[in-house]
Amino acid sequence: MDFNLTPQQQERVEAAREFTREWISPNAAAHDRSGEFPLAICREAFKRGLMNSHIPTEYGGQHEAVLDHCMVMEELATGCSGIATAIDGNGLSQYPVILAGTDDQKRRFLAPMLEELTFCAYAVTEPEAGSDVARVRTTAAKVGNDYMLNGVKWWITNGSVASWYFILARTGDELTGFIVPADSPGIVRGPKEINLGQHASNTVRVTLEDVKVPEANRLGAEGKGFDIAMATFNHTRPGVAAGANGITKAALNIALSYAKRRRTFDKKLISNQGISFKLAEMMTRLDAARFLTYKAAWLFDQGQDNAREAAQAKWFAADVAMSAAIECAQVLGGYGYTQEMPAEKLIRDAKIYQIYEGATEIQKMIIVSKLLRMREVH
Amino acid sequence: MLADIRRFVGRISDRFKRGFYGPTFRCPVCHFVLAAVDADGNGLLVCPVCGAVIEIEAVYGHIVPVVLDMELYRPQPKLRLHPMATHLPIGLFPVALLGAVTLLAATLLQRLGLASAVPGGRASVLASAVLVLLVLSVGASLATLASGLWDWNFRYRRRSYRQIRLKIACSIVFLAVGAGAIALHASGLVFAASGLMHLDSAAGLVAALAYLVALGANMVVLATLGHLGGTLVFGR
Repeated sequence: MDFNLTPQQQERVEAAREFTREWISPNAAAHDRSGEFPLAICREAFKRGLMNSHIPTEYGGQHEAVLDHCMVMEELATGCSGIATAIDGNGLSQYPVILAGTDDQKRRFLAPMLEELTFCAYAVTEPEAGSDVARVRTTAAKVGNDYMLNGVKWWITNGSVASWYFILARTGDELTGFIVPADSPGIVRGPKEINLGQHASNTVRVTLEDVKVPEANRLGAEGKGFDIAMATFNHTRPGVAAGANGITKAALNIALSYAKRRRTFDKKLISNQGISFKLAEMMTRLDAARFLTYKAAWLFDQGQDNAREAAQAKWFAADVAMSAAIECAQVLGGYGYTQEMPAEKLIRDAKIYQIYEGATEIQKMIIVSKLLRMREVH
Repeated sequence: MLADIRRFVGRISDRFKRGFYGPTFRCPVCHFVLAAVDADGNGLLVCPVCGAVIEIEAVYGHIVPVVLDMELYRPQPKLRLHPMATHLPIGLFPVALLGAVTLLAATLLQRLGLASAVPGGRASVLASAVLVLLVLSVGASLATLASGLWDWNFRYRRRSYRQIRLKIACSIVFLAVGAGAIALHASGLVFAASGLMHLDSAAGLVAALAYLVALGANMVVLATLGHLGGTLVFGR
């Protein structure tokens, strides 16, 4: 067991940290206030190779390991998890294509994303089907060699800027995945949703009205869509957990910086045990969340089943981020409750980690389902 | 359309602000936008609006301000010359610009053979009034600059603030461009004896164009000065 980073990993982390300090953190508050999509920042991230990094090498990508990606994601989210989500949103929709796409589909949809900055979106959630993906009601009716898609997709990250979507639709009783170009006639993108946090991230409704999709854009066999959508999460959940770890790290750093300089009762704030213990707890929880995250990512990179570990990491890291953000605000006192300090933004941003890509309760259900198959825990 | 213009102007001003102010943060007490580069070598900064003594530290690119003290009993000048002087150019200059634009419209209407917008030879009176207004506003801005520097010296203790630097620079630009516009007006290159503009000759056309551009540019500078002054008084 070796906890040291390789020189390549260290270099990648340093590059992501520099990018965060230079581009993300200074613009975080402005994007949070305006809700403007961070296109210029994404352009710079694209230039520096921080986007689409997991595309396989045979299609021109870096085929970045999930573990390495987690380290990068943690750095980016330390600056602003909303901007980090905008940068990393492609990964969620690209992975179904990497996992189940044909060579032709990979060449048509993945390779061009390395040449110029474009976005794609994972369109599975619907107004009546969130955690329970099997309830998806969007239909894909076979008409000759094409499919006709009808339905409403909801809370689609990068939905306004995507040039194609991964869409899960019902073909009879089963679910099937499709790659749907965003300029297909019949696709209507809704306005940006005003969410509690992550304002820089673009979340919209996407309506499909008689959208014709050729059979060549179907991902895998008919009825395999649910499996593809779920398998994707084994790849992406460690990354989401890493994003939550970024929030925890930001909360800890801000609280630490404040506590070391603010004076109360003629001494530094950090000299009060009540405050210093909060920081100690935050640091320990961050490390615990990191180790769960890294293990889930490492298992995936080793080709092993990581469903339980990914669920554990995602649940735990999200809860740690939420509590760290709240504790950060507590350390900052009244200032933590104002919009002028970054703590309140962290609280708003952290909450979504307990909800998206499988709510905390779903993660616990996955863990229990794995436990049920075990005779004893070693 | 209006929203597009506003967005376009906002984008330009945002780009300028990013370049000029660098990383910024809001004063935790009065919410005034402060530039991190204005902090001294110890990372300390006094908010020019509320007097909060702030220590700043950049953490992962996030600026974390900590309020250490409040600067109470700041010196106030006995005679508040700057606030009084500053409203003269702000009040007079836009009227001068309006007069000049009216004279341009009158000249164009007359050239088109339509009735003059300023009938009965009153154009010359209006042109003279414009000149007087220009002289008064630019002259008053000299007093504004001097009293502003006085205030900066005593009230703000000559501390470096981006906003005040920009105000000083804008005041000098306003003075220089305003003096140029007065010289053009008084030289007779722009206006004929009738008070209408010389648009027949190339020289007259160029002079009129330069004059109007100078007035328009100065209006933008004046608006910026007013905005900056307002934020320094009232905060965010």
